[in-house]
Amino acid sequence: MIARSPENAISRDIAVVGWAQTEMVRHTDKSETELLMEVITDVLTQLDLTRADIDFTCLGSCDYITGQAFSFVTNLDAIGAWPPKRDSHVEMDGAWALYEAWLRLQEGDIEIAVVTGSGRSSTGDPMLIYPMEMDPYFLAPLGADPLTFAALQARAVIAAGIADERSMAEASVRSRGKGDVDALLATDYLREPLHRHDVPPITDGAAAVVLATGPRARQLVERPAYIAGLDHRTECHNPSFRALDDSPSTRIAAEAAGLGDAPVEVAEVQAAFSHEELLLRRVLELGDDVVVNPSGGALRSNPIMATGLCRIGYAANHIFGGGNRALAHATSGPCLQQNLICILEGP
Amino acid sequence: MTRFAESTITFPYKRSLGPVVGAFMTALTDKRILGIRNGKDILVPPMEWDPTTGAELAPDFVEVGPVGTVESWTWVPTPSVQHPLQHAFAFALIRLDGATTPLLHAVDGGSSERMVEGLRVAPRWRGTRVGRIDDIICFVMGEVPETDGGDTGAAQEPVQRMDYHASITYRNPVPAATDRAVVASRNRRLLGLRCPRCERVYAGGKGYCPVDAVELGPECEVDLPTVGTITNFAIVTPVSYPGQTETEPFVRAFVLLDGTDVVIGYSPVIELPADEVRVGQRVAAVWASPAEEHDQEGGMGGAWGSLLGWMPNGEPDIDDPDLVNRIF
Repeated sequence: MIARSPENAISRDIAVVGWAQTEMVRHTDKSETELLMEVITDVLTQLDLTRADIDFTCLGSCDYITGQAFSFVTNLDAIGAWPPKRDSHVEMDGAWALYEAWLRLQEGDIEIAVVTGSGRSSTGDPMLIYPMEMDPYFLAPLGADPLTFAALQARAVIAAGIADERSMAEASVRSRGKGDVDALLATDYLREPLHRHDVPPITDGAAAVVLATGPRARQLVERPAYIAGLDHRTECHNPSFRALDDSPSTRIAAEAAGLGDAPVEVAEVQAAFSHEELLLRRVLELGDDVVVNPSGGALRSNPIMATGLCRIGYAANHIFGGGNRALAHATSGPCLQQNLICILEGP
Repeated sequence: MTRFAESTITFPYKRSLGPVVGAFMTALTDKRILGIRNGKDILVPPMEWDPTTGAELAPDFVEVGPVGTVESWTWVPTPSVQHPLQHAFAFALIRLDGATTPLLHAVDGGSSERMVEGLRVAPRWRGTRVGRIDDIICFVMGEVPETDGGDTGAAQEPVQRMDYHASITYRNPVPAATDRAVVASRNRRLLGLRCPRCERVYAGGKGYCPVDAVELGPECEVDLPTVGTITNFAIVTPVSYPGQTETEPFVRAFVLLDGTDVVIGYSPVIELPADEVRVGQRVAAVWASPAEEHDQEGGMGGAWGSLLGWMPNGEPDIDDPDLVNRIF
């Protein structure tokens, strides 16, 4: 059990009040800064805010994907950081940027934060870039790529009886809203046991979320999506030392975020590969009454560095639309190495 | 139609291996594979710390394999240039005899039909081994290790470092504003963009105002003066690294354009020795000749196009103690 004593109780008064995403495309002609400029303007316009109203920004992006050292410095141009602003950056998905902004808002001295996630995956070849982020001694020199790691985890998940190729194809069809399961199962393997439909698209895009505290949140929107719990945990990097048919870091983060306190109606999980959705459903003990990934999830669009933040945005949509409680999940690293759970609740 | 610029970034890393990975790599050169004891477990690849608790492990090495059993696998029908084999192969989690954890490596399996859990595999060693995980080219079916080519033997000294050359090629969109600035430079024009909100002017073809975060289109373009004053400078003494072409100390100057707030940074100076550069010095733009323009990059690169740098224009220096603060 994870202790949640009064001393480490978190503020229940911080909410997602709005979010926006760019068009999600295979290939954009816009620079990452231009994508951010557009999406930050979009979300602020929705809320009738200006850049001058922002007290804190935290941006999630990855130099490896952009191909430019300190690319987040250029991305600051999208914020309009003059007069100088409080700003931070994480070399992670925007969901972790949101975690940092949530911590910062708990100090209680500021009211509004903007969080972004952005990436142009089409800039390079993901199959050549991601191996370089792996363990440099044992994995990177072999060119160990994301499809290989996902395939090995899929085999473990299938061996454990949590999924089979048919249920994976069904998850894919459900997410993408198209395709015929039998026809998909008849296609060649991309990386056995993965077919192409089990694998995410390559997507360019960015997302921006606005967080607000206390009375300010209630002024801005009718139904703020309050952050009831937020936690993230990591496992060791090398999949050699992990049980690939389980995700203990997801389970612990969910427990710490209070998933068990009350049922959720919707869960948005960052499952880029079809078997990951089935594994996460099992680990989070989501019943058939929970709607999983109504957005279509990462199998429909996978803007690396924004995919996790979009899950929080879509979970917030459920609250904005009248729902009571939703879960968002984000992940990072090979085979669900690091996992974040965010529980959102209505007023 | 948006233009894309392709660039390749290469990082020639030299990595320290430390006492545990170093011992593993050294043993590889002797065609031996080492695990490390962690309680009842024998971890392969060996780690310096318990993967679960983070407790430091004593350097208690155990030789494992070299033969092992495939625990799981996936088939790679189309290898990438980074992969160990350039024909279809399997990536597998291989439990080496004596180990309690699996090692990820390639298996030269011939076809996916021949791959099965429980398959026995042995290493195919490189003839010349340097202490890298790819001293094992891949694993092959059966109980008998192989060596590829003539065997040049084990390393004479412990292996302490490992070369890893990371190289990535990127294709990035070139903003339209950058292309317009480059075209203007061919006509000896220095193009600026004036923000309609704050009136600030920017050079360099960025295409938006970083203060107001608005796009600046062709309607915002203005011609900037091509004469200015050096506000600050640095003398760079080049150190040798891959890609460095400079060998002698050189200057990078900041130039405030006349009658504007525009400072052009990191500019080369021309026909001006490093020890004669001064704050307050008056300079004029130097442009590439038409013959040089075939070379896409000018002296400054990117949106500066044909602008090569700055040279003294003969006017007397400006004496202003605030000048030195103007680097933006």
